[in-house]
Amino acid sequence: MSPITDSSNSGLAVLASTTFLADIAQNVAGARTQVEALLPFGADPHSYQLTPQDVAKIADSDLLIINGAGFERFLDNALGATGGERTVVEASAGLKALTRGQAEKMEVDPHFWLDPNNVTVYVANIRDGLSQLDPGGAEKYQANAEAYIEQLHALDAWIIEQVSAIPVERRLLVTNHDSLGYFARRYGFTLIGTVVPGFSSDAAPSAQQMAALIDQIKASGAPAVFLDAAESSTLADQIASDAGVTVVTDLHIGSLTDGAPAGTYVDMMKYNVTQMVKALK
Amino acid sequence: MMTAVVKGKTLATLINWLTAPLSYAFMQRGLAAAVLVGIICAVVGTYVVLRGMAFFGDALAHTILPGVALGYLISGGARDSLFWWALGTAVIAALGIGAISKNSQIKEDTAIGIIFAGMFALGVALISTVRSYAVDLSHFLFGDVLSVSSGSLWLILIFGGFVLLTIAAFYKEFLTLSFDPILAITLRLPVGLLDNLLLTLIAVTIAVSLQTVGVALMVAMLVTPAATAYLLTHRLQKMMALAALFASLSGLIGLYLSYYLSIASGASIVLTATAFFLMVFIGKRLHSIFSLHRMEV
Amino acid sequence: MYPHSHHQNDQPILDVHKVSARYNGHLALEDITFHLHSGERVAVVGPNGAGKSTLFKIVAGVLQPTSGEVTIYGSLPHRHVCIAYIPQRSQVDWNFPVNVADVVMMGRIAKLGPFGWPKKRDWEFVHHALEIVLLNDLSNRQINQLSGGQQQRMFIARALAQEAELMLMDEPLTGLDLPSQDSILSLFDTLQQQDVTVMVATHDLDQAAQYFDRIMLLNQRLIGFGTAQDILQPEKLLQAYGARFQTGMQGGVFYDDCCGEGEDLGHTH
Repeated sequence: MSPITDSSNSGLAVLASTTFLADIAQNVAGARTQVEALLPFGADPHSYQLTPQDVAKIADSDLLIINGAGFERFLDNALGATGGERTVVEASAGLKALTRGQAEKMEVDPHFWLDPNNVTVYVANIRDGLSQLDPGGAEKYQANAEAYIEQLHALDAWIIEQVSAIPVERRLLVTNHDSLGYFARRYGFTLIGTVVPGFSSDAAPSAQQMAALIDQIKASGAPAVFLDAAESSTLADQIASDAGVTVVTDLHIGSLTDGAPAGTYVDMMKYNVTQMVKALK
Repeated sequence: MMTAVVKGKTLATLINWLTAPLSYAFMQRGLAAAVLVGIICAVVGTYVVLRGMAFFGDALAHTILPGVALGYLISGGARDSLFWWALGTAVIAALGIGAISKNSQIKEDTAIGIIFAGMFALGVALISTVRSYAVDLSHFLFGDVLSVSSGSLWLILIFGGFVLLTIAAFYKEFLTLSFDPILAITLRLPVGLLDNLLLTLIAVTIAVSLQTVGVALMVAMLVTPAATAYLLTHRLQKMMALAALFASLSGLIGLYLSYYLSIASGASIVLTATAFFLMVFIGKRLHSIFSLHRMEV
Repeated sequence: MYPHSHHQNDQPILDVHKVSARYNGHLALEDITFHLHSGERVAVVGPNGAGKSTLFKIVAGVLQPTSGEVTIYGSLPHRHVCIAYIPQRSQVDWNFPVNVADVVMMGRIAKLGPFGWPKKRDWEFVHHALEIVLLNDLSNRQINQLSGGQQQRMFIARALAQEAELMLMDEPLTGLDLPSQDSILSLFDTLQQQDVTVMVATHDLDQAAQYFDRIMLLNQRLIGFGTAQDILQPEKLLQAYGARFQTGMQGGVFYDDCCGEGEDLGHTH
């Protein structure tokens, strides 16, 4: 590794797994370090398959920022095989996870970032990782981090205000997979069920699970089914039509959009909340 | 008194067990699709079995993948448009493979095998350009009957009906062509046209069945119920009828099993059809052993 | 779709003119010329690979000759539906799920037309044909339960149901026991009474002499075509068979088909 000097650009090759992580990290890195996203816009990280070029990028990186908690399944085998040396920052390190199941079959919900308060921990971990590799920029990173955390607090307050427009009995969420656990806990929503069981979109429901979901939707009065834009809607369409509810197909949970309406993490959260409020009010 | 209560309860449970899945619209559609697709595949499959076209059927099912993949890329996965992509690709592929079979310097099954594998790989390659393709690919390969829409059901009904009507209309021509092609020529039947018509019917059948059983399991729906019927009768019309019966039962039972055992529906239907075949096959063997025994005694 | 050219009855029923056939580089037939008159019974005799099946298929319009012309009553074969080709029994899928009546009814397809289903008249033709060949009590039997002779007679019935005027039979007597052969040979009388012209490929020169009006000796080329007296001469037979014929006990002649090509004469059994 080349010696890091106190110049305006650190020269570090920083790779973040997804676009939203890259945006958060870029806010911390500021002008001093460029953060690149590994996945393209609109990709579904749960079922992503690495290309050879992706692996090359990982090999060339000095710092790899991942969400952690099992979110980046596509990296499971790649990191060992890539070779070379880099620092890996697990952005969600230190956060207490929601889980399901027991012992070896225990599953962990990796969708921490849907609660901006969790993202403040992301910011701290990223700041520490950057500072470790680029001590000369530590002060800058600290300043950037503080500023961004301010934004996150403001976002949190904004969401609380927006959500208050939804009557309590309609704060019901049905999603494609179990991605809004932390969001629901923070903002007072109830999770009715998911089209696909579990914390990943990379699964298929059994007929009985589908039937149970339809019953749950009808029984609870949930007004809509919410999907990430990257997820296929064929199954959700049938369930929603059988249950008599609408389908919202453009939440952005696993990825930003290239420009509006969800070009940054903050915009992404605002857009999602706006869509939810619109559908549930 | 006790037994009456128990019987009553058992009956009630049984009825509940049968009707519970039916209370959901998606299961009603899935069952309708499975039964319809079963019948169509079975009738067309009768000719596939009698003319030794199982390999061709399997190859054709795999060959449509790039067409479906193109549709998937262009339309973003809208299910109903995929049917038309599958139909167009299947018809072109069927006529193309048919033409190659007749004119090839290479041995026929080699030529078919090369096309089959190459097209299938092309399909996978195209689908993989969408970076999160695994779920959709598995639907194309193994079926996705739980997400059959009403629109899809209409398409199955209309195009499946077309296939069955065509077979009825040309019943004796296809019969003659399959049993004795030389007779067909001497009677001046339009043999080339009829051959291509049959290939087209197989192609339409595959397009219609794609969402229910998927590419990889298609050949089973074409071959297994017809093969089972072949063991039981010596008349072509009865063979078709029996094949249709086995196929519908496989669709029904298979989907119920998939509901209560939480296993993949396409695979469940095929396993049921195979189980029927094995039962009939073994049953016949046992029957002939016992008959022999009786004769000896 | 189902043509039936007008029969110009002043023309011979079959006129073959300088027909040659070369397929995949192999010369099957060379410069064949002959004609047949209505009602004739002709035996076509020659070793395996002589081109008998090929000739029949060209006459039936199943294969195209490389050069030369075939006319049936003055027009090309594909304009007629009155020609029946009866295949060798070994070429048939006997496990096909059809019974005797189904197979015989297939002969009526040209009369039924597209979208048509058999009518009473067609069933009458089928039953009549089955009666002539003495299979009427087997009409519901599955075809793999028939004996060789019954299978052969079924195809003749099919040709009758087809109302064929020219029947080309590819080795119908091979592999049948004598009684079965007799039953078929006696059918040829009936066919001649119905004015059906018959060409039969056979290996049995005795039968050829006894039951047929003329004998055709074929081995890629037409070695000879005439009455038994003219044709069953040693030089002609030599030309046709090479050296693989033997004389029998009563002075009859038969073709020894037991050995491969190029075997030595003079072996004994």
